[in-house]
Amino acid sequence: MSRSRTPSDAIANALAANRLGVGAIVFFVMSAAAPLTVVAGVVPTGFAATGLLGLPIAFLVVGIVLALFAVGYVAMARQLTNAGAFYAYISRGLGRPAGVGGSWVALIAYNSLQCGAYGAFGAFGGPLVQKYLGVELPWWVLALLMWGLVGVLGVLRVDLNGRVLAILLTLEIAIVLIFDVADLVSPGPEGVSGAALSPDALFAGGVGALLVIAMTGFVGFESSVVFSEESRDPRRTVPTATFVSIAIIAGLYALSSWAMTVAAGPGNIVEMARKDPELPFTLAAERLGGTIADIAAVLLLTSLIAASISFHNTIARYAFALGRERVLPRAFGTTSVRTGAPKVGSIAQTVVGFVVIALYTVMGWDPLVNLFFYGGTFGGFGVLLLTTATSLSVLLFFARNPSGESAWRRVIAPILASAILMVFAVLATANFATLLNVPETHPLRWGLPIAYVVAFILGLVWALILRSSSPGVYASIGLGPQAASAQAGAAPVPPAGVKL
Amino acid sequence: MRLADEFFLIAWDTAGQGKPVLHPQGAALGLAGALLGELILGERLTVQGAGLLVLNRVPVEDPLARDVLAQIVAAPEHTDVRTWLAYLAQDAAEGVGARLQDAGLVQRVESRVLFRTRVRYEATEFAKGAWPSLRLTMLLSEHQPMSLPDMLLAALVDAAGLLDHVLFEPEQRAPAREYLTTLTAALPPALRGLAGHVSAAVGSAVMTYRT
Repeated sequence: MSRSRTPSDAIANALAANRLGVGAIVFFVMSAAAPLTVVAGVVPTGFAATGLLGLPIAFLVVGIVLALFAVGYVAMARQLTNAGAFYAYISRGLGRPAGVGGSWVALIAYNSLQCGAYGAFGAFGGPLVQKYLGVELPWWVLALLMWGLVGVLGVLRVDLNGRVLAILLTLEIAIVLIFDVADLVSPGPEGVSGAALSPDALFAGGVGALLVIAMTGFVGFESSVVFSEESRDPRRTVPTATFVSIAIIAGLYALSSWAMTVAAGPGNIVEMARKDPELPFTLAAERLGGTIADIAAVLLLTSLIAASISFHNTIARYAFALGRERVLPRAFGTTSVRTGAPKVGSIAQTVVGFVVIALYTVMGWDPLVNLFFYGGTFGGFGVLLLTTATSLSVLLFFARNPSGESAWRRVIAPILASAILMVFAVLATANFATLLNVPETHPLRWGLPIAYVVAFILGLVWALILRSSSPGVYASIGLGPQAASAQAGAAPVPPAGVKL
Repeated sequence: MRLADEFFLIAWDTAGQGKPVLHPQGAALGLAGALLGELILGERLTVQGAGLLVLNRVPVEDPLARDVLAQIVAAPEHTDVRTWLAYLAQDAAEGVGARLQDAGLVQRVESRVLFRTRVRYEATEFAKGAWPSLRLTMLLSEHQPMSLPDMLLAALVDAAGLLDHVLFEPEQRAPAREYLTTLTAALPPALRGLAGHVSAAVGSAVMTYRT
C-alpha cells in the first residue's frame, strides 16, 4: 500500500482521484430534467391545458428565481451531511417535525412525477408503435412495459451507462435546438413575434399555473447537491454545476417554447396544441420532413425512460435515507447485498406505479392529460412548495449558524428567494383550477393542494410521536445515512474543512 | 485469524466465483473498517466522535496492520474516521487478499476478459474459507456469548450491509438481529463508533450511486 508521494499528499490525492467534476454533475441533473420530455411533452400540454401564452417568459422567471434560491441552497449544502434531500434542509431550518412533513410531501411529489412519465410513455409511444409495427396498443401496455423495465433496473441497480446517457442527452438537446432553428427560420402567420416573452404574457391571468408548469421543467435541479462530498472542490464544483444546470434548463426551455409560439403564431398556439398533442413534431415535420420528426419521437421515448430511471432511483434513495433514520420502517434502510440497490424503496415505488397505472386503466382516464400533465404539474407544485420551505430553512439555518458565509449567501439572496417563492406558491394555489383546466368547483381543484397539506400534517404528527417515543430517532431526523454514526453515539460527521 | 481476514472470507465467495458477494464499495469500506478495528483492538488507535486518534505509535507485528498504522501516524492532519475509511477502502481488498494468500488460505487468480483484468480469490481449503461465515451464523443465531473481536466483526458485517447474507435463513434474521443490537450496545464506544461510521459511509455510497 505504499505510495510514491509524501503520505499526506498521497491521501488527499488518492481521495481526489475519483471525485466528480462539473460536467458529470450537470449530466446527472439534466438526465432527470429530460429536455425533450419537457419541450415535446410538458410545453404543448401546458399551452393546451392552461390556454395561456406566457410559458416562455415563465421559464425565464422561474430560472432566475431558482438561481437566487440556489445561492443559499448550495452554501447550506456544505453544512449538511445528507445534502441531497429537501427535508434535510427543512429539518435543520424549520425544525425536525417540518422536516418529516416535508419528506412525505417529497415522496408524493416525486412519485407523482414518476407516474406521469408512465402515462407519457404510453401516450407518445402508441402512435409510434402503430406507425412502424402496425399494431394498435392501448397506452397502458406500453406504460407497463416501461414500468417493468424501470422496476427491474432499479432493483438490480443498473443505471444507464454514463456514456449512453450523455449521448442520448446530447442528441436530445441537439434535436430540440434544430426544431427551434427551424421554427424561427420559418415563422407562422405573425412572423417572429416576441409576444410569448413579454411580461404581459405572464400576467395575462393564471400566472400561478404558468409558474407551476415552468417549475415542473426544472425538477431535478435540486439533486446536484447530493454530490457535495463527492465533488472535486465542494466550494466550487457543486455550485457551478447547479448554476450551469439552471441556466441551461431556463435557456433551452424558454427558447424552445418561444420558438413553438413563433412557428404556430402566438394567436394560434393554444388552439393548435389542443387539437394536436404532438404539435412540436408536427411543426418540425412541416419544416424538416417526417424523418427527423420520427427520430425526435423515438428520442422522446428514450428521454422518458432516462428520466424515469432517474426519478425511480431518487425516490428509492429518499426512502432509503428515511429508513436509515428509522423515520420509515428499518427495512427501507436496507440494501440488496450484491448490488447495493435500496431494494425496499425501489420495490415500493414500483408497487405505487402499478397501482396508479391500473387505476387509470380501470377508470379510463386519459394518459396524457390526466396522468402525464396532472401528475407532472402536481409533482412540480409539490417541488415548488418544498423549494419554498427549503429557502425559508436556509434563511433560518444561517441566522443561527452563520458558518462564515457572506451576507449575500446567508441573508440577502435567501430573503429575496423566499419572498418571491412564497408569492409563487400563493399564486400557484390560487390558479390551481387554471392549471388543471377545470372549473373552480372541481374536486381536484382543492383536493390536490390539500393532499400535500394532509401529508405534511401527518408527517408533523409522526415526528412528534417519535419525539416522545424514540428520542434517539427524533434526534437524527434529517441526517439520512449519517444517522448511523449519530445513533452509535458518535457525533455527526463535521462539514468538510472543519478539524476536530 | 485476524479481523479483516475474517471479514474478507465472509464478504468474498471464495468457494465459488471468487468475487465479493457484497457490492464492491460496501466490501471495501467494511474491510477498511476491519483494518482500523484491528488497530483499535490492538490499542494503537481509538475513535472519538468523528475523529480517529493515535493512542500508541509502537508498531504491530502484522505487516499490513503495521503499514496502516504507519500511514495514519505519518498524516496527522487527517483525523476524520471517514477520510481514513475512504482512503483505506481503495486498496483494502488487495492488501487483505495478499495477507490471506501469504497465510495460505486463498489463491489469487487473475484472468483477462477482453480488456479488463478480473481478480478472483479462491479458497485453498473449502472448510477454512467458509468457517468464519458459518461461525458468525452460529454465534448470532444461537445467541452465544461472544468475544470483543467477534462482536466487532458482527457489527461491521451488519454495517456493511452483509448481515442478511450471513443469516441466510430468513427466520433466523429477526431474533439474531435483536441479539446483535444488544451486543452492539455493549461494545466500547470506540468500536461502536467505528461500526457507525462504516454504516454511514456505506449509506453515503448508496445515496451517491457509488455502490
